[in-house]
Amino acid sequence: MNAPAVKSYRGLVAILAATLAFAALPLFQPSPFLESFLYLLFFWIALATSWTILSGFTGYVSFGHGAFYGAGVYATANLGAHAPLWVCLLAGGLIAAVLGGAVGFVVFRVRRLRGELFALLTLALAIVLATIILNTPIDGGPGVSLMGVRLPRIYANPSSTIYLLGALVAMGSLATAWLVQYSSFGRGLFAISDDEDVAEILGVPTLGFKVAALALSSFLAGVAGAVHALFVSYVTVGETFSITVPLFVLLMSVLGGARHWLGPAIGAIFVTTLTNALVGGDWALAARALIGVTLIVATLYLPEGVIGFLAHRFRARAKPALAAAPIVEPAPEVGPKRPIGDVLLQCDDVHLAFRGVRALNGVTLEVREGEILGLVGPNGSGKSTLINVISGFYRPDAGRLVFAGSDVTADAGHRRARRGIARTFQIPRPFNRLSVLDNVVVAGQFGARGLDHGAALAQAQEWLSFVGLDARAQALPKELNLHQRKFLELARALASGARLIMLDEVLAGLTPAEITTAIDMVRKIHASGATIIFVEHNMRAVLALTDRLVVLNQGQIIAQGDPRAVMQDPLVISAYLGDADAHP
Amino acid sequence: MSVTLLGQSILSGIFSGSLYALLGLGLTLSWRYLKIINLAHFAFIFLAAYLTYQLAGPGGLPPLLVIALVAPLFFVMGYAQQAFLEHFKVDEFASIIITFGMTILAETFIQWIWSADFVRLETHFLRGSWELGPFFLPKQEMLMSAAALALCLVTAAFLRFTWIGKALRAGLDNPQIAASFGVPNKKLSLLIAGIAGALAGVGGAFMALLFTLAPSQIYSWFGVVLAAVLLGRVGSATGVFAAGLLIGVSEAITMAVTAPAWAPLAPFTLLILILVFWPERV
Amino acid sequence: MLILENLDVYYGEARALANVSLTLGDGEIACVIGPNGAGKTTLVNALARLLPVRAGRIRLGGEDITHLTPQELADRGLALIPEGRRLFTTMTVEENLELGCYRPAARAHRAQGLEGIYAMFPILRERRWQIAGTLSGGQQQMVAIGRALMARPKLLLIDEPSLGLAPVVITQVFETIKAIHASGVSILLIEQNAAKALSVSQRAYVLDCGAIVAQGSPEELRQSREINAAYLGAGA
Repeated sequence: MNAPAVKSYRGLVAILAATLAFAALPLFQPSPFLESFLYLLFFWIALATSWTILSGFTGYVSFGHGAFYGAGVYATANLGAHAPLWVCLLAGGLIAAVLGGAVGFVVFRVRRLRGELFALLTLALAIVLATIILNTPIDGGPGVSLMGVRLPRIYANPSSTIYLLGALVAMGSLATAWLVQYSSFGRGLFAISDDEDVAEILGVPTLGFKVAALALSSFLAGVAGAVHALFVSYVTVGETFSITVPLFVLLMSVLGGARHWLGPAIGAIFVTTLTNALVGGDWALAARALIGVTLIVATLYLPEGVIGFLAHRFRARAKPALAAAPIVEPAPEVGPKRPIGDVLLQCDDVHLAFRGVRALNGVTLEVREGEILGLVGPNGSGKSTLINVISGFYRPDAGRLVFAGSDVTADAGHRRARRGIARTFQIPRPFNRLSVLDNVVVAGQFGARGLDHGAALAQAQEWLSFVGLDARAQALPKELNLHQRKFLELARALASGARLIMLDEVLAGLTPAEITTAIDMVRKIHASGATIIFVEHNMRAVLALTDRLVVLNQGQIIAQGDPRAVMQDPLVISAYLGDADAHP
Repeated sequence: MSVTLLGQSILSGIFSGSLYALLGLGLTLSWRYLKIINLAHFAFIFLAAYLTYQLAGPGGLPPLLVIALVAPLFFVMGYAQQAFLEHFKVDEFASIIITFGMTILAETFIQWIWSADFVRLETHFLRGSWELGPFFLPKQEMLMSAAALALCLVTAAFLRFTWIGKALRAGLDNPQIAASFGVPNKKLSLLIAGIAGALAGVGGAFMALLFTLAPSQIYSWFGVVLAAVLLGRVGSATGVFAAGLLIGVSEAITMAVTAPAWAPLAPFTLLILILVFWPERV
Repeated sequence: MLILENLDVYYGEARALANVSLTLGDGEIACVIGPNGAGKTTLVNALARLLPVRAGRIRLGGEDITHLTPQELADRGLALIPEGRRLFTTMTVEENLELGCYRPAARAHRAQGLEGIYAMFPILRERRWQIAGTLSGGQQQMVAIGRALMARPKLLLIDEPSLGLAPVVITQVFETIKAIHASGVSILLIEQNAAKALSVSQRAYVLDCGAIVAQGSPEELRQSREINAAYLGAGA
């Protein structure tokens, strides 16, 4: 979901109001049935919301939520008789968070850990944890009774107190999810779920964010579990670690909408109400069947859940108003063309091979501050590989990269982005489920500028008008045409405040008229102060734009220097056209 | 612990491991060749098990005949399911959720027809055990293990040597190029879905023969069978058999030297280690 | 044999080919040359029916094949040697070759076909059980050629056979292409390496920015300004 243009605290205020209302309810002596029903609702809201902070926001689906929730359950079960309740709750949360954080730290380091493997890994983790708890004094086999636990007397009736705790945990989870969603942390998580590699090279510390999301999600699940132990009053391993817990949590989130703080709560309310309204014999069966059908139909027809569906409807109606959005003042100041300066980027004897194929074979290259360096070569000559090595997507096998005086060879992609390296993609790779504006905001927040939300938002709007996309700020990338998506890539690179921008075939696939505007745009970007590496097949554009040209062939530099002179080099002609002897 | 006891434990581990392989075989095929993580495979297994219970118990049909009836029926079910999933262009992740929904529906259906209580197929078919020195070889388990081994080998040979098997693998590597050499990718995926369904049917029939059934037990097989599929490398028929045995035997030995409740520890720790340190294997 | 009439092909909303027409006679070898990004591979993919055609017609042996499926095209005797080989990389060399004659009509020639390929490329006989993805680039190109020949094609589409290969190997590949043509197969060769492509072709087309900018005999085109303009930006 997209951030509001102006940060509004309506959601948070609503959560606060709901918390007060729910907390006061026991004063009106509701029926025990209502109280326990509402408690169950809170329990599932808390659990589903906590799941969504990891799995909904980052796209890494956890089947092991039972493990984190179970850690909380057994924290209360074991500590309840000896320690005050708040210690149990805190311990439950912290144990789960440490467990989650440790797991995340190990598994998220595995490069290319596909989503479904993460899901199975978490499933296996829950089973192992359940086995250990079952066979050690933590449970021991028969289960643990919580009769000895003393509850604080918030309300006279202990069940009202448990109800209150449930309400607080649920509302706390919702508030946390709201805060995450509208923070730069949340925007980073959404970017990860859309395209993790691009997120990293735009400056999002993907590993740290994923571990943090898992730890936070586990903490909330642990606290919810710690409270739930009180409610069930007799905990067993079989019930706690049952596969149905994570599956129901997933069901609720998918149903309600896993990419919105409120989505899981909507799903939880639907499922819990259904299972509690229809009880006994055939009615219970019917409720279960209905859940099964809903799950199938919702996945097929509401891929973004109820809340995603509503948001689309809302956006569709709101569109006319957006077209009238004010146009911000013209482009950021465009300085005079700067003279070519010191070395900005130095590649030193860079080698990289894939499965024995030498993609880069000793590339040594200098890029000077303020120039437009053309990088050309036949298909498969190593241009894209070089861009990928400079942006940090590949580690070179040998060689060194020095950017603005610091050795960045060992830096992860997001660190290089922070230092001021940005790139565009030949086939645009926008974050497809973030608005055009948010795509640019991510770059401003996580790139070299490292802006706060307000400043990033203001600047993003300026950059969008700079590239002529201001009217489409609230659109989704898929609503743009190719030309506009390429310009969105440019806006992201600009918003990051990069000193070095690598343009990978910006002109490919554009019509002649679009090419003309794109070339103008590259000139403007250059005039605004950036150094540019321009990778392109369109030789006319290369000759028109670049100050200096480097030709790659078979992973090696075969010529460099003045563009027109280089293109007359016999080696270059033969690289492009075949053997030189065929061209007398 | 005596050698005899250990030997008998390993034997029982081989039997349960064979069953894991039998149940995982269809799953591993559809995961690799259809990109569908078919949780409803477990639903098919239990539907087939209850059907077997009905036909061979109260119905009085010979169990082998029941298997011969159930297998083609579930071929059709698998085929239909794949046609449905293909119609909606379901991807790998959505397939988990949708087939979980189907599993809930199947569980509900079973409970509606046969109640939530346990049922047990009473049959005289292959009762008792053979004795080999100090060891007991229960006849029904022996038949099931032989069937599991045979099906895994036949499936592996089918994928390795036949035109259809080669076309399936080629379609996985490069569907467009395979199509331009005449491979009908779509037809083949329906076929493999049907085969996976039939395998679920056979697995279910043996489950009815060997176990007491209850609808809620569908979910208890998820973990161990998925572990066998992953450990054996997704898509490998011989791999799932070897992994099934490894899991079954390691469980049995863990149980023999500690307590039965420790059984899941060995296979799932192994699975976690493989996923973390060797993720490209699966 | 093959006639393209005013072909328009789009990638999404971007036009990749505009009004492309060309003709290939029976038993002829013709080439389409042009720089990177000119639309050469798009042309191949459209011809092999891997991409939809927005407008225009493709005729093969008198029949309109514009809207056939890739499988139906295989039945009409068209085989493809795609850019970058695109082998079945997890399968063995021999299995790759066998897939070339997957069509039931071609299966009868399996043994004979394999013998022919192994005679042409003895190294592949030695490597027949090796996984294709682990071969060197030149050997992979041999497998790709062999796979297409196993289909006993009447028309062979060859896309960028020189891509990523060492110069010596490129020369061998073009020798092989000549030999295949001599055996009676019509060939449409799509290639960036203009000199090599012109040296084996009877007729040539120059593709630039999605349109045919020049055509004629290899001798005529070697002198033409269009090639230099398209490749090197000369005259810009």
